Amino acid sequence: MDPLILSFALVNGLLIGGVYGGVALGLSLIFGVMRVVNFAHGSLLMLALYAAFWLQALAGIDPYASVVVTVPLLFAVGFLIQSVVIAPLIRRESALVVEPLSALLLTAGVYLVIDNLALMAFGPDVRSASSGLALAPLMLGPIPVNMQRLIAFLAAILAAVSLSLWLRSTRMGRAIRATAQNRDAAALSGIDVPLVYAVTFGIGAALLGLFGSLLATFIPITPQVGLSFGIRSFIVVVLGGIGSIPGSIVGGLVIGVFEALASQFVPATSAAILSLGLFVLILLVRPSGLMGRA
Amino acid sequence: MNAPLLDVRGIGKRFGGVHAVRDLSFRLEQGEILALLGPNGAGKTTAFNMIAGFFRPDGGEILFRGRDIARLRPWDICKAGIARTFQLSKPFADLTVVENLMVGGFARSSDTAAIRERAEEIADFLGMGRQADTEVQHLTAFDRRKLELGRALSTRPVLLLMDEVVAGATPAEGQEMVALVRRIRDRGITILIVEHVMKVVMALSERVIVMESGRLIADGAPKDVVSRPEVLKAYFGEQYAAARA
Amino acid sequence: MTAHPNRLHESAARLPAGRPRRAAAGGVSPAGLLALALIGLAALALPLVADSYLLHSCIVVLFFAYMATAWNFVCGYVGQLSIGHAMFAGVGGYATVLLFTGLGLSPWLGLPVGGLLAAALSVVVGYPTFRLRGPYFALTTIAFAEMIRIWVENTESVLGIPVNGAAGLTVPLAGESLAALQFNGKAPYYYLIVALLAGALAATWALERSKLGFYLKAIRGDRDAAESLGISPARYQLVALAISAFMTGIGGGFYAQFFRYVNAERLIGVDLSIDMALMSIIGGQGTVFGPLLGAVLLAPLAEITRGTLGGSFLGLHLVVYGIILMLAVLYLPKGLIAPLRAVLARLARRGGAR
Repeated sequence: MDPLILSFALVNGLLIGGVYGGVALGLSLIFGVMRVVNFAHGSLLMLALYAAFWLQALAGIDPYASVVVTVPLLFAVGFLIQSVVIAPLIRRESALVVEPLSALLLTAGVYLVIDNLALMAFGPDVRSASSGLALAPLMLGPIPVNMQRLIAFLAAILAAVSLSLWLRSTRMGRAIRATAQNRDAAALSGIDVPLVYAVTFGIGAALLGLFGSLLATFIPITPQVGLSFGIRSFIVVVLGGIGSIPGSIVGGLVIGVFEALASQFVPATSAAILSLGLFVLILLVRPSGLMGRA
Repeated sequence: MNAPLLDVRGIGKRFGGVHAVRDLSFRLEQGEILALLGPNGAGKTTAFNMIAGFFRPDGGEILFRGRDIARLRPWDICKAGIARTFQLSKPFADLTVVENLMVGGFARSSDTAAIRERAEEIADFLGMGRQADTEVQHLTAFDRRKLELGRALSTRPVLLLMDEVVAGATPAEGQEMVALVRRIRDRGITILIVEHVMKVVMALSERVIVMESGRLIADGAPKDVVSRPEVLKAYFGEQYAAARA
Repeated sequence: MTAHPNRLHESAARLPAGRPRRAAAGGVSPAGLLALALIGLAALALPLVADSYLLHSCIVVLFFAYMATAWNFVCGYVGQLSIGHAMFAGVGGYATVLLFTGLGLSPWLGLPVGGLLAAALSVVVGYPTFRLRGPYFALTTIAFAEMIRIWVENTESVLGIPVNGAAGLTVPLAGESLAALQFNGKAPYYYLIVALLAGALAATWALERSKLGFYLKAIRGDRDAAESLGISPARYQLVALAISAFMTGIGGGFYAQFFRYVNAERLIGVDLSIDMALMSIIGGQGTVFGPLLGAVLLAPLAEITRGTLGGSFLGLHLVVYGIILMLAVLYLPKGLIAPLRAVLARLARRGGAR
C-alpha cells in the first residue's frame, strides 16, 4: 500500500471523524442528561441540511452564512419536540425512571414523521449546496486537505470545547449537569426540570443546525441521509461513552479513521459492514452494565 | 450428628479494593431458623447473594446437602432447592397474584393445572386468596412482600433465604410476617434470614450469627449473642460497649 | 429429590368466604368461540365474493398480521424491541427462492427449510444480543440486519450461489403448479396466508398458557426475580426467538412466492422490521390478537395511499404510522387492544346479565 495514499486516507479519516464526533455531540448530551435515545437524531441533521440548501436555493444565502438561521431554527425544533412529544411521557412516569424503550419508540415516531414528510415535500432527488467561497485545498506537504472538511472539523472541536465550558460555567449549564446527576434532587433544589430538558434537547438539535450548514457544502442531500448519520452517531456515542463530550469527539475520530483505513483494504460497502460490526462488538464486550445505571 | 444442610466454608468476595466478605464459614442445620446480623456494610447481603448464586465467591465452598453449589447460577441454585426473597420486593407487576405464584412452579413440574392449583393454595396460605386474580401493581407494599415470600415458596424449596423480613412493615404487619415465617418453618423448610430488626430476630431465630467488616464475629443463641461486647461494639460503637462492660 | 414435605394446603387457613375460582382456567367463553368461528367462516368465504384487487389487499394485510404476530411471539412477551426481524424474513425468502432455482426443491419444503435457517441465524444473533437491554438491544438488532442487507445488496454470488446483489431474485414462472406453489389466481395464496396466520395465533395462544410463556413474562417483569425462580433468561429467550424467527422465515418465503420476487431492500431492510414492531406495539404487544389488530388498522393505510393517491404521497402512510405510534406510546401504552377488550368485557357482562 502506497504510504502517501494511506496518509491521505488517514488525514481524511481524521477530518470526517471529527465531524462524526461533532454530529454525535447532541445525541450524547441528550442521552446523558435525559436517558433518551433520540432515534430522530439523524432526521434533525437532514432537516438542517435541507434548511441550508433551501436558504441558498431560494434566498441566495451562502451555506456558511446560513448558520445564523439553521442554529436557532433547529434549537426551536428540538425545544418543541421535547416539550410537545417527550415531556408528556416524562410527566406520566414522573415517579419512575423514564422507560428508555418508550422514549426510543416516541423518537422513532418523530423519525418516521420527519423523514417521510421530507420525502413528500422535497422528493427523493439528490441535492447539493455549494459555498461561494472558493476554497482551494490546503497542501499539507504532498497531501491535499479539503477545506470544507477542515472547516467542519475545526467547528466540531470548537463546538465540543464551547459546550464543555458552557456546561461548566453558566447557570443553565450547571442546572443541566445537576439534572443529569439526579433529576429529583435537582427539582427539589428549585431547578425547572422541564425547562432544562427542553433546553438540553434544543441545544442537542442546535448543534445539528450548525453541522447541517457546514456539511451541506460537501455531502449529497437526500431525505434518507439522516438515518445513516443517526446510526453512526449511536456508534460514536457508545464507543466514546454516553454523555461524555470529549468521548464523543474521540469516538468520532476512531470511527472516521477506522472507516477510512478499512476502505483502503476492502470495498467501501465492506467497510460499512465492518463499522456496524465494530459497533456490535463494542456493545457486547462492554459489560451489560451499560444500561446498569437505570 | 448428621451433615448440616448448608455448610459454608471460607467464602470471600472482593469488589475492586473493598473486601466485602472474608473467609466466612458457618453451618445451618435442617429445620433451623438462623439469623444473619450485622451493621450496614458488614457484608451480609454480599454473603447472602453468594449463597443464592447472584455473586460468584472468589474462593471457598458452599456445600448444600453435601454438594458444592458455590459456582452455580441462580436458576440452578433454585433447582437444587434453595429459594430467596429480595430486600426490595420484585414482583412481576403486570401479572396477577396467582400468575406470580405459578412461575416458580414450573421449576418442578410442567403440569399447568396442578401448578395453578398449588399457586392458589399458596395464595390462601398467605391470606391473599381474595386477591388471587388482582394484578400485582394494584397491591399494597406489604402484600407485595408477602407475595415475594409466597413466590419463593412456589419453587418448593428445602432452604429459604430471606433478605429482610419486615422492611417497611408496620408493627402489626411485622407480627403477621413473623407468624407466617414460623408456619413456613413448621412445614419443614429451613430458613436463613438477613435482618437487623432485633425484635424480629429475637422472635424468630434459634441461633444468630453476626458479621462485621466482612468477618463473622459471633455465633450463638440470640440472647447470648446480643450481650457480647464485640457485638455491642459493632452495633453501637466502642464507648457504648465500654460503658456496659 | 422426591416428596417435599411442604404441602402447604394442610396448614393453609382457608378463607371462610372462599373466592370465585376461575370457571375454566384461561379458557374461552362459548360466546367468544362462536365469534371466532363466525370470523373464521367469513374469512374462508371471502375469496368467493371479493374481486382480485380486494383479495390482493387482504393478502397483504394478512401477511403483515402474520409477520407482526411472529415478532410478538418473542418481543411482545419478553419486552425487548427487535428492529432487525426482517433479517429472518430475508433468510426465509432468499432460501426458498434459491432452493427452488438451484436444487429444484419445492417451496413447500423450501418454506420450512428457510424457517429453520432463519431460526439458526436467530440463535447466532440472539446468543450475544440478549444480554443487552432496552435501546442497546434494539440498536444491535438493527446493526445485525443492516450488516446482512448491505452484504446481500453488494454481493453478486457467494460460493457459486447467485445472490444477484441489489437487483434481487425473481422466482422462475412455472405456470399454475401446486408443486411449485405458484397459482394464477389469488385465492390459493389467500388460504395459505390465512392458514399461516391461524397457526401463528394458535402458537401464541398456546404460549400464553405454557411454561415458556410464563417464563418470558417473568423475564419481562424482573430479570433477577426470574433467575431466582429457576429461569435461565438466555436459554428461554433464545428458544422463543428461534420459534419467532422460524415463523418469520416462513413469512419471508411466502412473500417470495406471492410476489415472485425478493430483494434485500424490501425483505431485509429496516422498513419491514419497523412495520412488524409498530403493528404489534400499536395493536398491543404481549397479547394474542394485538398484532393482528395493529396490522388490520395500519396495513390498509399503506395500501390505500399507495394504490389511490399514487406516487406523490410516497411516505404518507409512514407519517401516519409515526403519529399513531407517538399517540399510542403516550396514551395507550398497552396498545389499542386494551380499550377494545374493556368494551368487549362490558358487552359480555351485559349479555350475561340478561
